[in-house]
Amino acid sequence: MKVKTTVNGQVYERETVPYKTLLHFIREEIGLTGTKEGCAAGECGACTVILNGKPVNSCLVLAVEANDAVIETVEGEGAGNELSDLQAAFERHHATQCGFCTPGMLMSIRDLLRRHPKPTVEQIKAGIEGNFCRCTGYVQVIEAVLDATGQSAKKGELKHVS
Amino acid sequence: MNRAFDYRAATSFSEALGWLAEMGSNARPLAGGTDLLVNVRAGLMTPTCVIDLKPIPEITTLSFDEGEGLLIGAGVTINEIIESEVIQQQYPLLAICAHQLASHQVRNRATVVGNIVNASPCADMAPPLLCLQAEIEIQGNDGARWVPCATFFTGAKQTILKPGELVSRIRVPAAMQGAKGGYKKLKRIQGHDLGIVGVALAALDSAVHIAVSSAAATPVLVKPFSRTDDLGTVVAAVCEAISPIDDVRCTKDYRLFMAETYVKRLWQEVVA
Repeated sequence: MKVKTTVNGQVYERETVPYKTLLHFIREEIGLTGTKEGCAAGECGACTVILNGKPVNSCLVLAVEANDAVIETVEGEGAGNELSDLQAAFERHHATQCGFCTPGMLMSIRDLLRRHPKPTVEQIKAGIEGNFCRCTGYVQVIEAVLDATGQSAKKGELKHVS
Repeated sequence: MNRAFDYRAATSFSEALGWLAEMGSNARPLAGGTDLLVNVRAGLMTPTCVIDLKPIPEITTLSFDEGEGLLIGAGVTINEIIESEVIQQQYPLLAICAHQLASHQVRNRATVVGNIVNASPCADMAPPLLCLQAEIEIQGNDGARWVPCATFFTGAKQTILKPGELVSRIRVPAAMQGAKGGYKKLKRIQGHDLGIVGVALAALDSAVHIAVSSAAATPVLVKPFSRTDDLGTVVAAVCEAISPIDDVRCTKDYRLFMAETYVKRLWQEVVA
């Protein structure tokens, strides 16, 4: 079946089998491998992309369901070799360790910042509820989001901040 | 990679019903896909064709009026319930429970109807719909019929749906608007997790409705109570109505204990 999507502003038209997930379509047919497959069951959020303005687990969407859709992936974050402000904050705060959850985490946070441009710690926690990170313990991620939005953690709010 | 299946996009219920009749149990309807695609991947379902209901225009219906009450089409997602002003104002229990279902990403795809049709004992949307006296519209090749949500579940992952039938809408009666409510769900973490036991309570005028998830083969609606009922009697009736088991998540005794605790807390918070 033919699937036409706009990914990070560029239109792609590809022939695909009807049972291919959007995740595999993005990785294998379009060749954007930033989006990762973790659990493949909607639990871990590593495959999060923004589909028509809403973050979804791309492992639970068929590519054919995304025909005519507008998709954002981690490759749309930076410009060329320039990191986005959010990615740069992740780097400063060591919010990435193994990095496997990071592309999905960034997509969830990108959506969070559209809904809450200056999110509170509680809003950040709720925003990344569907993204598992087994390295950082999340504190560095929260610090990075606060930093990227011109905020700093209040005393005692996070374990890292004295 | 998924095992192979075909995909058809239905543009009307009659088209979807025709395909279901033609292909029988080899076809599966697709809405949010958050249960279907997980089951297909795990080999628990092996459809040769999935029938996408999302192109059917009326399934996005989410409307309220004094006559019909609240209508929720088969394509309405969990996050659309949370974001709906009329639901926040008139049926807050639906939004409270919706917020407890899975993660933000899943809630952007998962539908209320899908949660009900999947018929898990831990379905988060079942307790509020039971408490709010919801009705389910079933479409078959013989036409449509409405059934009370309280008669819809017949066992774990089992419903009264016959082969070839679909759920098209859910109706919450206008008479239940303004019901105050609460939902307590025991889980291991504050975020995305399946329920270990859950209790929902809705109170309107003198009536109090309680429903329990993850404590029997189906979500359970307990007989209605009155605000003036003795709390000890209410707790005893709830514990009598459920039949929790020991499993990997929790023991039967702990489920009973937490169901009792949640009934008491909800009564204090919502009714007292």
